[in-house]
Amino acid sequence: MIDLIREIMQTLRNNKLRTILTGVAVSWGVFMLITLLALAKGITDDFEQDVMGKNMTRLRVFGGRTSVPWEGNREGRRIRLDEKDLHTVPSGAKEYVEDVTTNIWGGSSVSTKDAKVNLSYSGVYPSAAKEQQIDDKMTEGRFLNQPDLDECRKVVVISDYYAGQLFPAEGESAVGKTVIINGLAFKVVGVYKSRWNRDVYIPFTTARLMASDRKDLGELSVNLKNVMNQEDGEEAEKQVKNILAKNHGFSPDDESAVWISNYFTNALQAQQGLGILDVSVWVLGILTLLTGIVGISNIMFVSVKERTHEIGIRRAIGAKPRKILIQILAEAVSITLIFGYIGIVMGTAVTQLIDHIFNESGMLGNPTVSLTIAFEVTVVLVLAGALAGLFPALKALKVKPVEALRDE
Amino acid sequence: MNEIIRLRDVNKTYDGAVPLHVLRGIDMSVEKGELVSIMGASGSGKSTLLNILGILDNYDSGEYFLDGTLIKNLSENKAAEYRNKLIGFVFQSFNLINYKNAVENVALPLFYQGISRKKRNALAMEQLERMGLADRAHHLPGELSGGQKQRVAIARAMITDPALILADEPTGALDSQTSKDVMKIFRQLNEEEGKTIVIVTHDPGVAAQTNRLIRISDGVIAPDSPGTPEIPQLVISQ
Repeated sequence: MIDLIREIMQTLRNNKLRTILTGVAVSWGVFMLITLLALAKGITDDFEQDVMGKNMTRLRVFGGRTSVPWEGNREGRRIRLDEKDLHTVPSGAKEYVEDVTTNIWGGSSVSTKDAKVNLSYSGVYPSAAKEQQIDDKMTEGRFLNQPDLDECRKVVVISDYYAGQLFPAEGESAVGKTVIINGLAFKVVGVYKSRWNRDVYIPFTTARLMASDRKDLGELSVNLKNVMNQEDGEEAEKQVKNILAKNHGFSPDDESAVWISNYFTNALQAQQGLGILDVSVWVLGILTLLTGIVGISNIMFVSVKERTHEIGIRRAIGAKPRKILIQILAEAVSITLIFGYIGIVMGTAVTQLIDHIFNESGMLGNPTVSLTIAFEVTVVLVLAGALAGLFPALKALKVKPVEALRDE
Repeated sequence: MNEIIRLRDVNKTYDGAVPLHVLRGIDMSVEKGELVSIMGASGSGKSTLLNILGILDNYDSGEYFLDGTLIKNLSENKAAEYRNKLIGFVFQSFNLINYKNAVENVALPLFYQGISRKKRNALAMEQLERMGLADRAHHLPGELSGGQKQRVAIARAMITDPALILADEPTGALDSQTSKDVMKIFRQLNEEEGKTIVIVTHDPGVAAQTNRLIRISDGVIAPDSPGTPEIPQLVISQ
């Protein structure tokens, strides 16, 4: 084995420049493969962290306008979601619906004596903390609770970003302070810190009192249960829509009476998309690598041709055909492996760099190469190298020992 | 009778548009310890005979015994094994591997026997010392003179202690002085170690330094140069 490695090193050194030039193509292919894989992994991880992490088993429903006449009502009628929906949806679709919440958007600014930010508020239920993924991100105080809603309290939860703007004095806590929303004084009860979210939350009941149209809920958030696959998600959506159609008198097939955004089926589709991304990255990377492999195969052909006389000599002095075959194959695999690993190192370095740069802005999750990928790439390299060397090696096998007697 | 080479009615025809009957019933033998030359004009079948003697090519009919073993229709593996163990080749153009130094070249036949690097390099050094090339052991062939290269090649041929040294125009690429030196080595190996050596040449000066001359013409052994040694002569020379 050591002898074989020595033999290979000797022949590779013998054609340094040519070996390097050929190898660079393989390095490039592996580099591309690694970089693409890492980026794809980054995107997938990011998606899983930031999208899948949220409560995805829910529907958001908005009122729209009917597009077809139904039960004596003409088309173009506006549908307003109301309190009745809040109760009939969970009771009518028990199988799939966990609960239904809503929120009301309103206002245009939040201010203190000294500062003002242009920002609307969101009137929510306590469960919004979980839906918005801020339940574990409270840095001070608490989120809204049931008593807040029951008593229509004028309390507010804000993000640390706006807390800092509204109360710029250093070391000052926002909790317990008063802010003005729509001319009313609200007490800050909690501050949260989130990368994505900077909304202002007040109790739903308080927001409804402040709203001009107290009946219109604007939006329903339907939390689902028992949904496992695409079909469940679609069925749940259909059931919810049927209940709303009955409540408001529109055709269950009306496409525009209510707008339903099905987070669950969307997420499933996105996941499928990411699966396709992963596959296409492998395909692209391997195709790039293939050009490198073809280069190696080519150069091995040239090498075998050049060394016909040498192979003849080796055969004449007693090399068995198998030895020649193994040597050519091993040479191809060695070049592929050596330069492949150079590509891995470069690819890893670049992805680490990208990771470092983008980690700040949070564009990509964690675009690094795992050990599994490195192992998979090694297997690919050995197979590719063997494939590259196979045909040149078979050609070398055809060299007869008589070649040794021919003049160079 | 201690025959190293025994050919009986060996025929060889090259297929083609016009089949070429190159060897037409060769009968010859070489005794152990002989130094024999084979001469012939180009096209006489000399090279084909050399290929067959060196197990580099097959023949169509007849029998070839090398050191008591019938060499006929061998597999590539078996042929390689016999070449490795029974025959030491010396070529006109030396046929050293140009990126291997002298020791590595000499040791190469042992590499194919699976002998460890340490042991085969030690044996190779021994051979080089005998050829007076110990100080050139780590030079590449490109750094050696023609005579030195041929001595390295002879060392390589000797390293497996083969039954037969087969030399193809060993002085063809050398000047007259170096040719004499190389021939001297062959004679020494023959006289001092009893090596059986067959030299294929077209140089009468080389042939004259061998103990017996076999002429080949038109695919048969010429009548004036018997293919088998004359027993009395051999007895005298021993």
